[in-house]
Amino acid sequence: MASLQGLLSILRKLKSTPDQEVRILLLGLDNGGKTTLLKQLASEDISHITPTQGFNIKSVQSQGFKLNVWDIGGQRKIRPYWRNYFENTDVLIYVIDSADRKRFEETGQELAELLDEEKLNGVPVLIFANKQDLLTAAPASEIAEGLNLHTIRDRVWQIQSCSALTGEGIQEGMNWVCKSVNAKKK
Amino acid sequence: MLGYIWQYVYSSFLRYWLKWVVRQVSGKCELQRICAGFQPGSTRTSKTEYSLQFSKNKVLRGSLQTSRDSLEQCVDHIVQAKNVKPQKDPLFRKSLHTCLLQITGYAGLYTCVEDLRKETFSSDNMEHEDMLLKLWKLLMPTVKLESRVTKQWGDIGFQGDDPKTDFRGMGMLGLTNLVFFSEHYTEEARQVLSHANHPQLGYSYAIVGINLTEMAYSLLKSGDLKPHFYNTVTGNPELLHFHHLYCYLAYEFDKFWVASKPQSIMEFNHYREKFHSQVKISLQEPGVALTLTVSSEH
Repeated sequence: MASLQGLLSILRKLKSTPDQEVRILLLGLDNGGKTTLLKQLASEDISHITPTQGFNIKSVQSQGFKLNVWDIGGQRKIRPYWRNYFENTDVLIYVIDSADRKRFEETGQELAELLDEEKLNGVPVLIFANKQDLLTAAPASEIAEGLNLHTIRDRVWQIQSCSALTGEGIQEGMNWVCKSVNAKKK
Repeated sequence: MLGYIWQYVYSSFLRYWLKWVVRQVSGKCELQRICAGFQPGSTRTSKTEYSLQFSKNKVLRGSLQTSRDSLEQCVDHIVQAKNVKPQKDPLFRKSLHTCLLQITGYAGLYTCVEDLRKETFSSDNMEHEDMLLKLWKLLMPTVKLESRVTKQWGDIGFQGDDPKTDFRGMGMLGLTNLVFFSEHYTEEARQVLSHANHPQLGYSYAIVGINLTEMAYSLLKSGDLKPHFYNTVTGNPELLHFHHLYCYLAYEFDKFWVASKPQSIMEFNHYREKFHSQVKISLQEPGVALTLTVSSEH
């Protein structure tokens, strides 16, 4: 028995170094699709999702990273709590409902405020133009223009069209996330 | 590992031999012994369900999927297959019938609940719209809704100015539960709402309600609610009984939340999980009945 335990501990040491942990903050207005995205990342069932009261957190392994993804509720009432989660964020993912044109202005304002936050200084930002499965969805290029993304100079950013429902575009976005973390750590 | 082997040996061989020996000695089959030996309720029905599920006899196993209309016939088939003489055991037939009604009724209830959940809220559907407005009137009898799309929806705990996007994965099941609670327990619902609107200890009444609908739904789906329904509904459970269970959860969660004195709404999921575990533990008790008992305070 003792020798078996010894063998196990050797095997454990031989195992490659533990994955590097990355803190990802998932923000955006309510009904943008943050929780659906989170569940897709964790390969969980997405058919019973309810509005997020508070926050959800999940850890996902990807490309040698351990991604700790924080999904914070988006309703106006709890947006003041967003700032409690800024510290040590490696990448910010901002999710937009591309079909909810009425709220483009509101979502743009929230994003602009986030980019002004001192604690998020220089943090890479990925914008997911979500719900591209809907016919009425605005294309990513239109959203980028509407939000004046080209004026962002103090950090790397990327806009990626996706559908959290079908999973399309998510991998591409997450590849960018891992790439930008690698670039930052070097 | 040993446990698995034991379980395999037991369920594939030992159980049948044991049953055979007891049958020879007592002159009664397992189903008869269960029906005669236990009071109506969760223990009796659960044991019957287990016995039928693991029976070698096709008729017995098939009885679990019987439709309501052919239930009588199915009971007759079992009585025949097991060679039970009505003169010797006059109560057996009725007891077995009750058990089967509960067992197959549970599956039927899940189908109804699932259908309602899959019905998405639509603004083009007048019935849906009327229900939404009814919810407002029941909870806020003295305040007039200024328009269909308004910030006022936040006062009963929806996220934005149009509740339609908040039902999501729970569809009309979420709204129906909210309306049912406000309609049948109006005082209690308003009391819960007033707690939810507390400046420090508050939460979003409607979306927490939708979240608790998800809890009720998952408990139903996993079969965890079987003991509750076997104990509280003698016939087959219907949607109405599911709505009552939701009322229990909504009322009890509020009590639990207030008593826990959480720091802020951001701790919601932590306390939700704690509450969820408590509910699951109480569902392990054979006599469980999750019914909302209204106190006489008001």
